[in-house]
Amino acid sequence: MKLASSLRNGLSGLAILAMSPVSALAEDLNVVLFSMPYTRGLAELEADFEAKTGHTVDIEVVGQDVFENRITLSFTGKTGDIDVVHTPVIQVQRWIEAGWIQPITGGVNGMEGRDDMLAGPLDAYLVKGDYYALPFFAETGMMAYRKDILSAAGYDSPPETWEEVLEVAAAVHSDDVAGAAMRVAPGQGFNMFVFPMIMRAYGGTFFADYTGGDLTPNMNTPEALAGLEVYSKLMNDYGPDGIGNFNFGEVIASMQSGKVAMIFDGTGVAAEAMDPEASQVADQIAVAPIPSGPAGRFPTIAVHGLGVPADAPNPEASFAFIEWATSEETLTKIALAQPYADFTRASVAQNPEVVAKYASIHPDFLDVRVQMLGEAIGHYRPLLPYWPQMGAAVGEMINSAVNGIMSNEEALAAADEEIEAIQADNQ
Amino acid sequence: MTQVSGVQPVFQKTFARMLYPAVFAVGLFAILPLMGMLALSFTDFHLVKPWDREIGFQNFERLINDRRFVNSIYVMMMLSVFGVIFQVAMGTLVAVGLEKIVPRWRLMRGVFVVPFVVPAIAVALIWLSLFTPTLSPINAFFDLFGITVPAMLTSQNGAIAAIVIADTWASYPFVMLLILAALQGISTDLDEAAAIDGATKIQVFFRITLPLLLPALLMVSLFRFIETLKHFPLIFVMTNGGPGRSTQATNYYAFIQTFQSSNVSYGAAIAVFLFLFAAVISFYVARSNARISDA
Repeated sequence: MKLASSLRNGLSGLAILAMSPVSALAEDLNVVLFSMPYTRGLAELEADFEAKTGHTVDIEVVGQDVFENRITLSFTGKTGDIDVVHTPVIQVQRWIEAGWIQPITGGVNGMEGRDDMLAGPLDAYLVKGDYYALPFFAETGMMAYRKDILSAAGYDSPPETWEEVLEVAAAVHSDDVAGAAMRVAPGQGFNMFVFPMIMRAYGGTFFADYTGGDLTPNMNTPEALAGLEVYSKLMNDYGPDGIGNFNFGEVIASMQSGKVAMIFDGTGVAAEAMDPEASQVADQIAVAPIPSGPAGRFPTIAVHGLGVPADAPNPEASFAFIEWATSEETLTKIALAQPYADFTRASVAQNPEVVAKYASIHPDFLDVRVQMLGEAIGHYRPLLPYWPQMGAAVGEMINSAVNGIMSNEEALAAADEEIEAIQADNQ
Repeated sequence: MTQVSGVQPVFQKTFARMLYPAVFAVGLFAILPLMGMLALSFTDFHLVKPWDREIGFQNFERLINDRRFVNSIYVMMMLSVFGVIFQVAMGTLVAVGLEKIVPRWRLMRGVFVVPFVVPAIAVALIWLSLFTPTLSPINAFFDLFGITVPAMLTSQNGAIAAIVIADTWASYPFVMLLILAALQGISTDLDEAAAIDGATKIQVFFRITLPLLLPALLMVSLFRFIETLKHFPLIFVMTNGGPGRSTQATNYYAFIQTFQSSNVSYGAAIAVFLFLFAAVISFYVARSNARISDA
């Protein structure tokens, strides 16, 4: 009797435990995103989607580290509990290879307003003839500089080539204000977000012929070396003290506190660096296109989108959510409510309210962004399943070169060896 | 069954039952995952690649020839050895200072414990900004006198030193608390007797207090050593393993292999190595501690 009653108590306890996920399961759709201005803005619009489609939705916005654990568990365990997932373009190839994500080609081809979506970011999700996500975020490269410091040194316009950047940096560099700052900390999303802007401008590439399908490592070349020499010199001779460990946070803070004359990073970083509430010198900061080199101009690009996990139980409903979340109406609402200038529809850039909002940061901001997006190449960072691993390894070599642990030549030779080993490991 | 003296057998059963939840919890949350990790390390499980179910020692063979792994052990030992030396020295000094030299300050011990309760990520962010020359008040202060403080995080030794400093700041209170407890177990009669015989405070410290503290010092060093083998947040936030690869300690390298390279089984093999390493060290320290205590 006693046993039976304690069993019963235990079981009712279990039942209560089992009830708690029910509230989450009661939603038609579960959406898992990691925190950025767009995703935070989207989470506030749940009611809009429910009113429009009749589906209920739970939008879960978590930190990026929690996100990785959450989706890895769900995808490897094939739990089918996620209907829509945040899909960074840098991960999509890996996820396709692992069979974690399903194509949404039919939906993309049939949707309204497809032509309005920026082609570069959209095509970043086109893999072997299928679309795997719709982009909501496209960040590109932008230069932010101090008008007052440059003009005091006799430069009335910003440098247009990396060669000129070195010249201007040398002219303005002093003990109080460094000539230039960029990310140098190792990582595929840290130094490898910005270094290829210079490497590619000098004709350097990661592979012998990426678009033609020849993936022989190709970083140990005179072109990539020329790029790395410019990057190393710019950082070591004209960067702030300690630049060898700078990440975007330190780049932003140094610009905000007036200790750097020029920064080269993404649009988000430029916008934050000139935020009047955080920056002591905001009124002196202007934006300009990323400089070019002998081989052309290569602004960085980072694209994020929304995709459907392979085991999502109701792909049509998932796509309906993605279509709504990347629609002109939704993107416009978030662009107005959040610091979100990285939208992916041309029409949003023409909305007068949006234009007015971002013109107040800087009159050229949206124009420079659109120009840079138009010039960026989708495979700025190669779209390969093993890129996260390869980008990390190459980033460590480039960081070693800037910090003098290796020479520039040694670092590029080592980078080729690392890529080869990773390719062999991933075959 | 040996009896605890003076305890009725019926109570002994009750006491044994009180252990069940702990045994259950340790089994479920410690032993079971550990076995899982051990099992994984003999497979070739990869997050992305198909699993061809090869079982064997291939991951451990690879460890021996992996230069990054060997380098990671060097980094780990530097962080652990110097970390433990500084934390134990500082923790002991503060504890002896509070207990023996200025007992009036004993109430102040709460102040000294503050760094210990700061979350690891916050500790890392605080020290990252202190070691970033353009943001650091330390650099700003010395700049006033025209002294340039070198950037720590851009060289291997500097970055290792920076992590050791941050870890020492956050962890010496742990040492201090344990040593304070040990000091309270040492009778003050010994100090007084020595003082009557004409010993100075320094002599008392080195000849009496320190030898009596030895078992406690060994144990606290062991705790800290094992803890420093698990370095992660400080490296992740302060250096990202850089400059280059120079602060990728073994634990961090296991993370890189598992999550960056999706190489779960190889990451598990590294973790198994770490576990065995910590277990062997613990065994020897515990044994020598028993000898000292018996002596």
